[in-house]
Amino acid sequence: MNKIYYLLLITLPFAQQLDPVDVALDELRTVVETASRSNQRVFVDDFTGLL
Amino acid sequence: MLDEFPGTLISTEWHSPGYTPGDSDFEECYYYDNFGGCYGARGNLFNVGGIPHTEWNGEYDLTGGWANGNWEPAYDYFIGFYNQLIGSETPYDIVINGFKDGLTVNYDITVSMDDDHSSQNQKVEIIVVEDKIMSYWTGASEYHNARNVARYWISTEDLDISSAGESQTFSGSFEIDEEAWNPDSVKIISMVQNYGNYHVHQVQELNVNEFDTDQDGIMNNEDNCLSEYNPEQEDIDGDGMGDACDPCDNANIFVPGNVSGDLWYYDDTSLEPTVLVDVFDVLLLAEIVELADEESCGYEAGDMTGEGDVNIIDVIALASFIMEGAF
Repeated sequence: MNKIYYLLLITLPFAQQLDPVDVALDELRTVVETASRSNQRVFVDDFTGLL
Repeated sequence: MLDEFPGTLISTEWHSPGYTPGDSDFEECYYYDNFGGCYGARGNLFNVGGIPHTEWNGEYDLTGGWANGNWEPAYDYFIGFYNQLIGSETPYDIVINGFKDGLTVNYDITVSMDDDHSSQNQKVEIIVVEDKIMSYWTGASEYHNARNVARYWISTEDLDISSAGESQTFSGSFEIDEEAWNPDSVKIISMVQNYGNYHVHQVQELNVNEFDTDQDGIMNNEDNCLSEYNPEQEDIDGDGMGDACDPCDNANIFVPGNVSGDLWYYDDTSLEPTVLVDVFDVLLLAEIVELADEESCGYEAGDMTGEGDVNIIDVIALASFIMEGAF
């Protein structure tokens, strides 16, 4: 039983650790998604004026 | 400003019939199937009172006139609105495409999303405008090049999509009023607008003469295959019909005389085939003449006299050529 506790104590901290490569990919994905998002154009309703 | 920011600044002019001088090329705008009513319907969205009045993406507005039609003092206001709104992120993109057949315009407007956004109160407006109408403006005592004057407010549709990657297409058709509109200057304007706060989330415009139905980068009026993607526009026989949609290669196969399109290989070592013209071509040409089958590939190949018309004389001529060993 003690062996199982030891194993859990050793394993849990590492299980929460993200691979640095994954972090970098997430950052890259965020940058790419932001860059590819649509840009707003501007629409003017002109009510019988001069534009 | 429209010329200063082409493609990113899009306008529609809603003109008040009461303000419009009688000697200008202005007509009432069709609101759905009803003649007139556009100005009131659109103006009521924004509680437009005094004119001139501008609404910038439904978020900013400016009301008031300028003495003698001198609009230039308004520029500083307008450029501020534009810079506040342009380029911010929006989940929506709009692509306008379609096909124009004479005065009939068939359109497809596709709204796509690259991020999530609630569809509550989201509408798609579809408006036909006529650009650049020279008109005499009594308030300014001068002629004015009116831009993108609303001619036909076709519809306001519900936008049902709400997640990244989704798209929705709105299709329809309308007739260009040739007597009232200049067909060269007719555009479709479409926008995504929230009917809760009237903010415009995206907008797009396209002249109906600039459709690119097959989206190969070649506009329809210059495309040698309207519905086939062929950006290189290959046309091996130079007949104006691109290879991608031309079933008849009149340069190498359906050459004069080879009505059936038969090819002949001399032997297994020959890589280049030659055309085969024989009595079967005569029989087939006779059938084409009898049926007046102008659509078949053999029709053009059977014009032995080169007069642009295929008839019994061509059949006789082809038979004579074969008998003389011309092929």
